[in-house]
Formats: sequence, structure tokens, C-alpha cells
Amino acid sequence: MPLIINDEYPKKLFREDGKRLDGRDKHELRPIKMEVGILKNADGSAYLEWGNNKIFAAVYGPRDVHPHHLAKPDMGILRVFYRMATYSVFDRKRPAPGRREKEISMVISDCLEPVLFLELYPGTSFEVFVEVIDADGGTRCASTTVAALALADAGVPMRSLVTSVACGKIDGELVVDLSGIEDKAGEADLPCAMTWFNDQLSLLQFDGEMTLDEMNICLDLASDALKKIYDMQLNALKEKYIAIREELNNQEKSPNEGGDE
Amino acid sequence: MMNVKRVISAIERDYILNNLKKDKRIDGRDLWQYRDIDISVDMVQSAEGSADVSLGETRIISGLKYEVGEPFPDTPDEGVCTVMAELLPLASPLFERGPPNEQSIELARVVDRGIRHADCVQTKKLCIRENEAVYILFLDMYVMNYGGNMIDCGGIGCLATLIASHVPEGEFNDENQLVWTGKYLNGKDIVNELPFVITYGKIGDITFLDPSLTEELLCDGSISISVTEKNVTSIQKSGSATFSIDEVKMLGKKSMEIGKKLRKELNLWQYLVQKE
Repeated sequence: MPLIINDEYPKKLFREDGKRLDGRDKHELRPIKMEVGILKNADGSAYLEWGNNKIFAAVYGPRDVHPHHLAKPDMGILRVFYRMATYSVFDRKRPAPGRREKEISMVISDCLEPVLFLELYPGTSFEVFVEVIDADGGTRCASTTVAALALADAGVPMRSLVTSVACGKIDGELVVDLSGIEDKAGEADLPCAMTWFNDQLSLLQFDGEMTLDEMNICLDLASDALKKIYDMQLNALKEKYIAIREELNNQEKSPNEGGDE
Repeated sequence: MMNVKRVISAIERDYILNNLKKDKRIDGRDLWQYRDIDISVDMVQSAEGSADVSLGETRIISGLKYEVGEPFPDTPDEGVCTVMAELLPLASPLFERGPPNEQSIELARVVDRGIRHADCVQTKKLCIRENEAVYILFLDMYVMNYGGNMIDCGGIGCLATLIASHVPEGEFNDENQLVWTGKYLNGKDIVNELPFVITYGKIGDITFLDPSLTEELLCDGSISISVTEKNVTSIQKSGSATFSIDEVKMLGKKSMEIGKKLRKELNLWQYLVQKE
């Protein structure tokens, strides 16, 4: 057991000035930073900082399926492995994957599958490895978002990107993007993900209690937040190529560095 | 995206070997030179210390967690520090999922032994009450990108993590309960010596420092030597390569020199974290 520093949840999740404990408004997202192509060995990779969450994702594939009996003769398979580092949470996590990690892996995999053209890759697998280095609430949504970016970075044909966010209810108020403490101490949590080629939800979970009306509002709030995050994803993908273009432009300007012709 | 191959083509192998014979490396280094080392610390909020270390293409993120538990019966007044390593399948197509394999256990063990025998962690300061409560530190390394020589990268990562650590200080109150004093133990309280693990690859009869990925795949074997300022603290020879006694003596001397240089250049104490 670590020394317990604070074993009680805060009594209030809103400050005197009406802001949330981390200073956000009710419908405000935490700061998000995304970058693609940062792990050199992977076919595609992405890194995401979402509040205090820090997550890496890497894609390998299409490649041979291990174990072989999982291979499908008429289509490829997508496998997602969501893992948390032992030091990413308050109490050290056991190194072996637990039930929670296996469930989240499956949920993310199911969520990403609709955007892939798996029928074009019979007998092969795409493997997405998601490693949570630091966790602070909403890791399944952040992981889905960063996994979709890594797939796009790998050049895997996709119908669209996938974006995910959680909404919920804390102290009776509906809020966007729950932090770790809000997730634990709040009343309800509704993670969802959008596939943009058909504007439909491909991940939907719900834990807690709220009225039907509140749930409807929550879904609308999520819809707005998803659009903001989707734009950030597109920008992150573009930035990689803008950087390459600038590099090429610089080379053209100084041809001497490029060797003799 | 990099093309990682398990088998190196004959042409590439000959090219590397011919260069090595002329004391040259394909990446332009000389035989006794490290690749660039890049360190950042304390970026993981949930950990009691963390470091992100790159050695060339190899990148390892390590973190520290702790528990308070009972000491081992033979060392009733000493804390414990254990090292674990995981070769994430995200880091290389050469790594597979599953329980720890020989390679990851060797990485953790060699780094662990380097630390353990060098009196690096001041285990006596990690004791809260004899026979009852000591700190158990968990140093966990995650390989994020594999580009050869994980041992040296992990070794530096673990030292940087320990130096950047901030572990809540505990004490027994009047009712005999273990409570937090409100202060933190930092790197200065935990770390004593800085042992550097230094790894040499061997191909044929040529030995060189810090093998890159292609070099490592070609190597007959390697030898890792841990050194503190004054002493050699552990050696691990791995692979099928053999080393002559004179060669081991020479590498011992080299290690002391390189260790001294690393100690100065990396200046790891700059990563000390003062948490209030």
C-alpha cells in the first residue's frame, strides 16, 4: 500500500466561481496536443496529450497473423491492445494485462473496425498497440482518438477518422470531458465515438444515473465536442506533411546540400 | 517508418564489417563513441518519478512507483528496489506480445544488478521502522522504440528516474499509524552512487561501444560493464561471443574512462526535482 495522501473525494466538483476544479467551464475540453509519426519503427504512430493523459499508439500491418488460427481467409483482422504502464496510475498497476485492459482493447477495436476496408486484406492482421504512460480519466476515449490517428499515419485505407470523447454529470450539472476525479466522484459518465463517414456512433458506453432528457443533452454536447477534436486530428495529420513540404522547399532553395547533380 | 529486418543482407554486413576493420562505423561514429543521448524527466504526473531517455533511435520511458511493506528478514532495516522492463510490441516488429521473455528479463536484470551492487540506492534511508515498514521501490522501464543497446539507455533512464523522484515521506504517529509527514524524499535522499552500464558489441574480433540496431543484429555477442566512480560493479557477457582476458581488462579500463565522461557530460544531478 502506498501512503494514503488523500483518500477522500472532494465534496464539491465545482469551485465558488462556478468553474470546475481544474478551472474549466462546464463545456470546455482539457488542453489537447497531438502529433503523428513519432515512433520510427512502427508503420504508423501517434502521440496524444489530453489533460494529464499521455498516450502513445503504434500500428503494424498488414502483416502475418499470430497465432495463425485467428486469420480469416476472406478478410483481414484488426487487433487492438490497450495497455497501461505500471506507473500511470496512483496505485501501481500489476504488469500483466487485466480484465479492464482487455475489455477496453475490445471496445476500441470494435469502434475502429467500421472505418477500415478489412475485406481488402484477407489472411492478414492490423495490430494497434496503445500504451498509456500517464492516466487521468477518459483514457478509452483518448486511446480511440490516438489509435485512429496512428492508423491514418500508417496509410491504412480508411473511410474516415474516428473521434471519441466522454460527457457526463457531476454535482447535478452536465459537463464535457470528465477528468479522473470527476469520473470517480461524479454521477454519470458517457463515453462515445463518432465515425465521420456516416456521422454515427461506433462506441457508446454509459455508467451512472441520469434522466432521458439529460442523456439527450449529453449526446448533443458530445457531438459539439467531437467536432472540435476531429479538427485537431486533421490538423495533426496535416502538420506532418507541412513539415515535410517545408523541408523539401528548403532543400530546393539550397541545392548544394543535396549533393552534386 | 523504418524498415526493420531480422536478417541483414550479405552486402550490408560486409559493408559494416569492412568499415569496422578500418575503425569506422556506418553512422559516422568512432568505435568508442555513444550516439546522442537525450533526457527529459518528471513528465508522468501519476508516477513518483519518471524519465524519457533516447539513445540514438532507442527510446525508453521509465517510471517509479512505491509501496510501504515489510522488509526482508535478513535486511530488517533496508528498503527494496526492484527493476522491471517491458519490450512493448509497439517498439519494434521484432518484439511480440506476451509474458516477459529472455531479452526483457536480461535488460531488467543487468540494469538491476548495476544498481544493486553499486550502493546506488540508499536502502537504509528507505526504512521507516525496523522489522516493520520499509519502502519498496518499483522502477519500471517501457521500451517505446528499439534501435539497439537498450541496456545503456535503460540504465541511464533508471538513474534519471531515481534522481528525479519525489516519494512521500512516512512516519509513525503517536497512535502507531503510518502517516504522511507532508514532505517528500527526493533524489538526494534516495540516490548515493551513480553506476553507469556500458555495453560493447563484438563482431568477429572487433569490439565497439554502443551497438546500433543493425550492428546489434550482426553481433556475435556483447558485454555490459557497470562502473561507479571508483569500482566495477557488475559485468554481463551475453551472446555467443568470447572475450580474451586481455580484452576484458582493456574494456574494464575503457569503461572507467567512458563512465567518467558520461558522469560529467550527462550531469544527471541537474534533474533533481524539489517537490513541496
